[in-house]
Amino acid sequence: MIKIAIYGKGGIGKSTLCSNISAALAKKGVKVMQIGCDPKSDSTVLLNAGEKLPSIMKKYTEKGSALELKDIVFQGENGVLCCETGGPPPGTGCAGRGIINSLERLEKLNAYGIYKPDIVIFDVLGDVVCGGFSMPMRKGYAQKVYVVTSSEKMSRYACGNISMAVENFKGRDYAELGGYILNKKTSPEDNKALEGLCKDFNTQIIGEVEYDPLIKEAEEKDTTVIKTFPESKVALSFMNIAEKIYV
Amino acid sequence: MKNTLKIISCYSADTAGVCSILYEMGGMVVVHDASGCNSTYSTHDEPRWSKYPSNIFISALTERDAIMGRDETLTDNTVKAAKELEPRFICLCGSPMPALIGTDFYALASEIEKKTSIPTFSVATTGTYSYIQGAGLALKEFIIKTSVYKKREENTVNILGYTPLDLYINGQKERIVKLFEDKGIKVNFSSEYSENILNASHNLVVSQSGMEAAKYMWENYDIPYMCALPIGEKLSKFVLDIPNIKEPVFLERNTAKTSFYILGESLFSQSLAKALSLEEGIDAGVVYTLEKEDRAVAPCDYTTSTEEDTENFLKEKAENIIADPIYKHISPVNAKFMSLPHFAFSGRCFEHNIPNLMCDDHALKEVIK
Repeated sequence: MIKIAIYGKGGIGKSTLCSNISAALAKKGVKVMQIGCDPKSDSTVLLNAGEKLPSIMKKYTEKGSALELKDIVFQGENGVLCCETGGPPPGTGCAGRGIINSLERLEKLNAYGIYKPDIVIFDVLGDVVCGGFSMPMRKGYAQKVYVVTSSEKMSRYACGNISMAVENFKGRDYAELGGYILNKKTSPEDNKALEGLCKDFNTQIIGEVEYDPLIKEAEEKDTTVIKTFPESKVALSFMNIAEKIYV
Repeated sequence: MKNTLKIISCYSADTAGVCSILYEMGGMVVVHDASGCNSTYSTHDEPRWSKYPSNIFISALTERDAIMGRDETLTDNTVKAAKELEPRFICLCGSPMPALIGTDFYALASEIEKKTSIPTFSVATTGTYSYIQGAGLALKEFIIKTSVYKKREENTVNILGYTPLDLYINGQKERIVKLFEDKGIKVNFSSEYSENILNASHNLVVSQSGMEAAKYMWENYDIPYMCALPIGEKLSKFVLDIPNIKEPVFLERNTAKTSFYILGESLFSQSLAKALSLEEGIDAGVVYTLEKEDRAVAPCDYTTSTEEDTENFLKEKAENIIADPIYKHISPVNAKFMSLPHFAFSGRCFEHNIPNLMCDDHALKEVIK
């Protein structure tokens, strides 16, 4: 089993990318578990026909220690095991603690031992803004961190910050930087600035997703391009990234 | 408001459990918490504080350090103190504030161990669970980190889970030691530092705090365990059979219906119920307000987690109650209430009235008089 974490600036397309990678891997027979680490609980909607799953924090609040895996892990498209940490409503509580508590709960319930996924993908909200958001990259969780970015300045800035966090935690045996995934927001888009960042952090761009209106079209249909437009060029690019991640 | 304690007290928290179980082991416990909180863990919840020395420190976490994630304040100060004190081990544990900011205790312990070469482990307590959980995890981590299996020592029993939070410092520990030593059985108290804990032939679990460690040693080192306290003469004889057990042993109680209930630490209450049955012919049930082992639950027992629930159950079912005096305030007025103070619940309020029930029929009779 390998575990990876996907980070990146808010709104850059992490959940869309994660869901398409999960769907692509599952289509090839790989057992995938996608864990959304976001209070909004919307990481896996594209794998579940637009339906928001009940989150770990919601069910834990209701059931306490009687919480069971069947309450929080669901099979989505192509059998992808879907799970959402959830968290507090906007402006209240502590989202970071929600991620910590949820991931600890999955461990306690022996989720990885019982479902035995080949790959676990943590889809993490935005930047590494507090201890809770670093949880998926800690020892015992993801082995590699991939950052989704466009070549836009603010996106690269967030990418640099996340890379810096990975670098800072090296002494703690946390996850290592697996590389960047370029999600082009416009067409054409220049890669040069991002290549400079790659040099700074001694990493590489492992895959590129060209701007394609089919992504939006699939999203409007509450599904992945892997399912709706499997022969499209953009579906192929997701499959290529999936292959780079799960060798 | 359902989960709010309005009348009764709350039990000591997980952090106090860590400090208590490691108190006499010669290590250094560092609680990552705001300055001033040390008195909660090492005096209010610790009756040994004025009698025996122990290295329990508070990191004095400030709001600024918490916001800025300055873990190095904790690690640097711990390393500095450890180099001066040369403890046998270091244990880091937490409190609500580091729990919320997600302090990675596991990583910090590893960093401190690299810098000091002293065995270091962590228990990521949050201050929101019971002392049983903190003590249980700390004992297990302590064994994993510091004990080495060399050779099985027959006729040697580890006493697991002893803390004054459940077994007060009024001679209870000494009576347990004497019980075994009089029969030529060697005793290791897990509350005292011992590198030989994994060499023992058997484990006696004397509170739920010892359960995690007992299960770990059974699963990994084939050391069978017995869950019982030697309360009264007959149960003491039963406990003395421990060198002959080959697998885990729990007290069997089959009472289906009763109006006689005990509230307190789960393993202590089960043992007391068993002793009452053996010595006095009383069929007693247990109301669980703390963690318990399911395999030792009798049909008449009841598990509760809220004050209202406990109050309603006692009102409906109990005519005779043995519990800490604070429980009297939610017990039915018509019930016979027999006081048995529990340090983890009422602290120093009734500490001088805590009886020593170990191996003593007379003290048992006094409780139900």
